[in-house]
Amino acid sequence: MKLSISHLSKQYRRDFWGLRDFDLELGPGVIGLLGPNGAGKSTLMRMLATITRPTEGTILWDGVDILKSPDTLRSVLGYLPQDFGVYPNLTALEFLEYMAAIKGLDARSARRRIDELLVVVNLVNAAKRPLSGYSGGMKQRVGIAQALLNDPLLLIVDEPTVGLDPEERVRFRNLLSDLSGERIILLSTHIVSDVEATATEIVVINHGRKIKYAAPEKLLGLLEGKVWQWVIPSTELTALKQKHIISATVRREDGLQVRVISEAPPSADALPIAPSLEDVYLQLVSENGKKQ
Amino acid sequence: MKTLRILYHMARADFLERTRSYGFLLMLALVMWIGYLSASGQFRMRVPPDHIGIINSAWVGATMTVTVSFLLGWVGFYIVKGSVSRDYTTGVGQIMATTPLSRPLYMLGKWLSNFAILGITIFILMLEGLVMNLVFGSEGLNLWALVAPLLVISLPCMGLIAAFAVLFESVSWLRGGLGNIIYFFAFLFALISTSALTTVGTPGFKINPYSDFTGWQIIGDSVSHAAHAAYPDVTGGFAFSITNLSATKYFHWSGVQWNADILLSRLFFLLVAIGIVLLASLFFDRFNPSRLRLIRKRKGSFTDNADPFPGSGPLSTVPEAPIAQASIQVERRLTPLNNAQARFRFDALFIAELKLLLKGQRWWWYGIAIGLVFAQAFNSLEVSRILLIISWVWPILILSGLGCRESRFDTRQIVFSAPRPLLHQLPAAWLSALVVLALLGSGALLRFILAGATVSILGWITGALFIPSLALAFGTLTGSSKAFEVLYVLWMYLLTQNVPMFDFAGLTPQSPLYIYAPLALLLLALAVFARRRQLRSA
Repeated sequence: MKLSISHLSKQYRRDFWGLRDFDLELGPGVIGLLGPNGAGKSTLMRMLATITRPTEGTILWDGVDILKSPDTLRSVLGYLPQDFGVYPNLTALEFLEYMAAIKGLDARSARRRIDELLVVVNLVNAAKRPLSGYSGGMKQRVGIAQALLNDPLLLIVDEPTVGLDPEERVRFRNLLSDLSGERIILLSTHIVSDVEATATEIVVINHGRKIKYAAPEKLLGLLEGKVWQWVIPSTELTALKQKHIISATVRREDGLQVRVISEAPPSADALPIAPSLEDVYLQLVSENGKKQ
Repeated sequence: MKTLRILYHMARADFLERTRSYGFLLMLALVMWIGYLSASGQFRMRVPPDHIGIINSAWVGATMTVTVSFLLGWVGFYIVKGSVSRDYTTGVGQIMATTPLSRPLYMLGKWLSNFAILGITIFILMLEGLVMNLVFGSEGLNLWALVAPLLVISLPCMGLIAAFAVLFESVSWLRGGLGNIIYFFAFLFALISTSALTTVGTPGFKINPYSDFTGWQIIGDSVSHAAHAAYPDVTGGFAFSITNLSATKYFHWSGVQWNADILLSRLFFLLVAIGIVLLASLFFDRFNPSRLRLIRKRKGSFTDNADPFPGSGPLSTVPEAPIAQASIQVERRLTPLNNAQARFRFDALFIAELKLLLKGQRWWWYGIAIGLVFAQAFNSLEVSRILLIISWVWPILILSGLGCRESRFDTRQIVFSAPRPLLHQLPAAWLSALVVLALLGSGALLRFILAGATVSILGWITGALFIPSLALAFGTLTGSSKAFEVLYVLWMYLLTQNVPMFDFAGLTPQSPLYIYAPLALLLLALAVFARRRQLRSA
């Protein structure tokens, strides 16, 4: 099972590329796609989900060009778009039955799968209510369920935790961990903690280009000994911001506790601490932003 | 000053949003075509039986005015309607609702934007009339005679139409397809009852400009008198038609003699338009979900917790489903599916599409449908044919969702990423609509078979094939249900008037039945083409 992306580009306007010359080779596992808003994550996901045609480049699923033969991928694809709607007059159960029919599941398998999915996404009690009455979070869970209907080999989830409460968010992360194994899960988000918990590999993307692709451990290694923490008076924050990337601040009685990314100790009081993925992400995006 | 600024920016933003759509280009094309037909004399004003004016500036201007009142009065409503609905669906309305913007001001802004869109059409027609006058006209150009009827008569009429569009959008039950259908017949009724076509220009007739919103009386009376002056045997009357004349007699007409009464009446209609807009603001819920919820609760068509703004999570009052266990681990493992379990079955998808089509209809909808089916079976052939038309109009709001449901409810990305959406979902949707029409017309089919009415049976089959194809093609092409709703009602109306060209059901002896089966195929091909385009750019 392999998804190969090579020289993938999408041009929206003459002077604007949503994605540019993107290469990636993916195997089974949870791949976190990280990037700021407008980085090109959704563009990439829509192209992988056979929704949008790229301007240039190829996408191969187990060696088959999905631009020429999209149905090869569609039959094993589960896709949760960033923005999607539902049919308001249907109940969650009916909507999932409809989607199961579209995806080609036989009635018995569909019924069993839907029953299981309703439990998994915690919608059993609301399954027979019209979707028009669902909150944003509940609708998102219906979206997650439909993406998993056909037990997909490639699961693409674009900002899946938007609108979910903290408990549902953790539940979803656990679900992703459970699902990982013999399938490729591509998880796009700009919330680092979402991928931190589940991703086996991480792709960082900015301005439509891949800026890093590595396992989380390797990414963390990039900033080993380069993250510092100490307390400063609040008045010094602005000056510090101009010199360094500040990845976190916590207000304390004696001032502000700052977390700074720097090659050398930024202050005599600064102590080195273990880097987090958020530190790495901020560093990579900031570096890339300066190059652009 | 501040109010004017708000009004200006509201109308401007709305206007720009609309003029930057393909729909606007289509509208421009329609207007130019209308202008060409009227200026070239294909749409013609006449005084019965066959007297028409020499083509000059006044004649071109008046013909365009009459055409605008008729066609844009009718269709223009559907063109401009939708700006308030857009604020609901995009969620912009909820943002606006948090500003100090008052209801009357919001409604006035929308009216101004509607009015500007329709005003542009008038302006284009003026330019076109100018060119056409130079091409087809037999006299020199008289600019005032050309533009005056469009300015004085058409503009206030369009103001009124723009106001009705706002009113229909402010009343929740008139906002959708039902409102479209009601307007269709209401306009027809208003046009017929106020135009006084047969009596205009006759001795003793006095125009009532304050009821004549289309201006047909004003123009008709003046034209009829000019014809009488040239041909004393003319007894009056006025007609607007696309019929060919056998022995045309020409007369000279130099235009309407404008007087204070006429000018005041047109101003009156503008004031009425503003009054309608202010009235609309009373019905407008200002994007307040609780008002809408209350209405729906009374109607009983939704659950108590129904969210009137699908997609607006934060506004919903539905409690999240309780978390079953304290643990937030996944409680149940998913059973893997094998390939055999994921084999496509068309019948399953067809049933799912059928459910989707019929879901949400109330019991009385089914009651009336069953009543119509029985009535078709137990009436004379003639009555049965009429009942068949009514039965096939009955599911109009269901049919109009074909092909555009995915855009309307934003399920495109989910539906289109499933395997073979062109080969699976689209035919299943078409077939489900065909089955609904077949069931609704089953009484008539039985009646035709028992009577051995072969042509009617053929007409029935053609109709059952043609209608879903038309709906699917329009839905996929326009991404909206509005175009089909308007066209279908117009089409079925012409069918009841026995216009042979539109008779796909074999009701008239001259029915070109043989055209409609291939046309159905062509429309299906169009739907496939449009859906293929959507698939590539969803």
